[in-house]
Amino acid sequence: MTGHERGWAVAILAALALLALLPLAGPRDDVLNFVFLILLAVTLAESWNIVAGYAGQVNLGHAAFFGLGALVTRTLWTAGMPVLLAMAAGALMATLFALVIGVAAFRLRGAYFAIGTLALGEILRSTVSNVLPEISTLPAATIAGYRLTHRYYLALGLAAVSVIAVAALATSRLGLGMRAIREDEAAAEASGVGALALKLTALALSTALAGLAGGLFAYYHISYYPSHPFGPHWTFDALLMTFIGGVGTLQGPVLGAVLYVVLKEYLALRWVDIHLLIFGALFVAIVLLLPGGLVQAVERARGVLGGARRAA
Amino acid sequence: MLEIRGLRAGYGDVPALSGVSLTVREGEIVALLGPNGAGKSTLLNCVAGLVRPWAGTIVWDGRDLKAAAAHLVIEHGVALVPEGRRLFGGMSVQENLELGAFAPRAWPKRRAALERVYALFPVLAERRRVAVQALSGGQQQMVAVGRALMASPRLLMLDEPSLGLAPRLVAAILEALVAINRDGVAVFLVEQNVPAALSLAHRGYLLEGGRIAGEGSGTDLMANEHVRRAYLGPLAVRR
Amino acid sequence: MILGQQLLLGLLIGGLYGLAAAGLSLIFGVMRVLNVAHGELIMLGGYGAFWLAALLGVDPFASLVLVIPGSLLLGAVLYTGLFGFVVRAHEETRVKNSLLIGFGLALALQALAVRLWTADERSIPTSYSGATISVGPLTIPLVRLATLALALVLIGALQLLLSRWRWGKAIRATAEDWQAALLTGIDIRRAYLLAFALGTALAGAAGTLVTVAYSVSPSIGLEWTLKALIVVVLAGLGSMMGTFVGGLVLGLAEAASAATFGGPYREIVGLVIFVVVLAVRPRGLFGR
Repeated sequence: MTGHERGWAVAILAALALLALLPLAGPRDDVLNFVFLILLAVTLAESWNIVAGYAGQVNLGHAAFFGLGALVTRTLWTAGMPVLLAMAAGALMATLFALVIGVAAFRLRGAYFAIGTLALGEILRSTVSNVLPEISTLPAATIAGYRLTHRYYLALGLAAVSVIAVAALATSRLGLGMRAIREDEAAAEASGVGALALKLTALALSTALAGLAGGLFAYYHISYYPSHPFGPHWTFDALLMTFIGGVGTLQGPVLGAVLYVVLKEYLALRWVDIHLLIFGALFVAIVLLLPGGLVQAVERARGVLGGARRAA
Repeated sequence: MLEIRGLRAGYGDVPALSGVSLTVREGEIVALLGPNGAGKSTLLNCVAGLVRPWAGTIVWDGRDLKAAAAHLVIEHGVALVPEGRRLFGGMSVQENLELGAFAPRAWPKRRAALERVYALFPVLAERRRVAVQALSGGQQQMVAVGRALMASPRLLMLDEPSLGLAPRLVAAILEALVAINRDGVAVFLVEQNVPAALSLAHRGYLLEGGRIAGEGSGTDLMANEHVRRAYLGPLAVRR
Repeated sequence: MILGQQLLLGLLIGGLYGLAAAGLSLIFGVMRVLNVAHGELIMLGGYGAFWLAALLGVDPFASLVLVIPGSLLLGAVLYTGLFGFVVRAHEETRVKNSLLIGFGLALALQALAVRLWTADERSIPTSYSGATISVGPLTIPLVRLATLALALVLIGALQLLLSRWRWGKAIRATAEDWQAALLTGIDIRRAYLLAFALGTALAGAAGTLVTVAYSVSPSIGLEWTLKALIVVVLAGLGSMMGTFVGGLVLGLAEAASAATFGGPYREIVGLVIFVVVLAVRPRGLFGR
């Protein structure tokens, strides 16, 4: 991790710490909801970033793990288990599933891995949609005892955990190995880096976080269709946020998540269709012109300004 | 005439050619010899436009070939028979040959060109509808050479045409090259089979480690101590 | 509904799956670009026909005469403005970038469609919409039969184009070995452009046929991209007719699974086939 990224890690965690104070200022519910959504998005994006940015594979089935986490958490929590335990169980299920299919999935390369994981995600969504078609609503007693601040702090904690996890990964031996296989897998294997084990580790970490995010989703929403968190748009949102912000960096997904939720919540109210058009176009532009996303744009601007200042 | 001066090229940061200069005159057969990895294929690929050189000039017929787009090189009269043949496997012999005349100038004359190729390689005429991946190595090589001839090139370059072929077939290919050369086509031949190459070349160059290490007439090179020791070994037999 | 009837309907839609897949297969086979917005191009073709019918009263089958050239042009524009830049990279990056660009494009096109036509489902009712013929116990909807026939005709026409037309041969050669293609004088960028345009034209045609036989809405994109992908993987690359047959196989498999396990499992069987083929025989049934 560069000193630059380290700076970002500190800044982000400081911001999160400040956000912990927000509920004390007695804000309106919709402000808390808005920040909650950003925090959930940060977790989702950072978790996807682990496999894409560090292990170099485009996983289009990410929503499957988000959904599994939600499903298991919801089921256990509404049956009486304490929510944190239920979320842990959800993350565990998601990770186990990931490891099982990961061994087979990682035999596929590039595009095939992407569309293969997409298909797997869709299979899960379709199955859940058929097996559990009824809407899942919290019992009245739970709704009565619903505290938004609890959800808020959980989201804050989870976002912090995901940022710390990615930071730790980037600096660890694990992260170095992953970068090696991302650059040139054959060469890395030849120097003793066990590619499959590393990719599976990345997948496990990524899906555990996604599973926890799913659990948070299940804890937060009062009612939703069980197949909803399995929908591919969750994967695509994570993709969008990570790439627009800057894949493979620590701060990229955070920036992308903030931008995405802000634009979506504010612009979408007035132009519900155009905001997707903007994102689509922005995404294409970034892939073509600025593959490093906003992070790269900031670097360039910094370089230009620095040069201008030096010249002045 | 093909004139190469000071050619430098490589892949990524790794140099393959470190300043190569050579000439192929009209009507000549020139051989380029050298060990594996010396840069012979890179040289041909640079002329054919598949690899962009770092420095140096490639002039053919007074025209700077370096500036030409890869698919236009054949229009200028230079054809390459690449290493490993690189045929269009799922397509038939006839289709492969026809595609050799794809260039706009050559396309209208493709029927006549086809007949000439079939005259040169009669066995191909018999198997014209067969998919090339079903042919033997020798026949595939004939298709590869034939395909390169379809646009009536004035310089024919070949990258290791004898690779993997039985001696009888190698001889057949070489005979065809002599016939092609008699028609006025210059031949630039990269070969590891030194006796074969020198048996028909007027002149030859030695490429070692990305540089020209020697040149001379075919017979001179054949008699050269260094060449004999390095490439002909104890089994060298005087032809 | 009896099994035979269900299988028949599966066969009828299978032809459209094949047509949808053919375009994707051509593009991927020639330039290794995976356009995941292919379904959205199908959707646009459908809306094109819808507009022509709603605004000008053009019969949907006749509108193919306009939709196909229109889609051809759209494909050329998309290649020149977008995917043409992707092919500059080498294969692995190319595939990944095309995946990402296709994704952004899909998002934008879907949003555009909602803007232009709302999110409602649209269809094109005609005077002959309900016509059927009876063959034994089976009732064959004529419109759907016509779409199957047209899909076959279009794929056959493509096959002919690829084998007889000078540039069709160039496209096939480029798909086999682009460097050898360059050596024989083929401008591979032009081959890519033509392949992309042709693939998009097929998508547009498929969209028109889907709309006249069923319906269209802005969200059908992902579903059709997946169907096309499944068929491409099932059939393998390299044969247009093989792709058509692959489409029929998918249609039949869906019908059989719906008949056996119930309607909801129709979608899953295709995805399961997809995953199994990827795992067991990645080059597909007819691929080389």
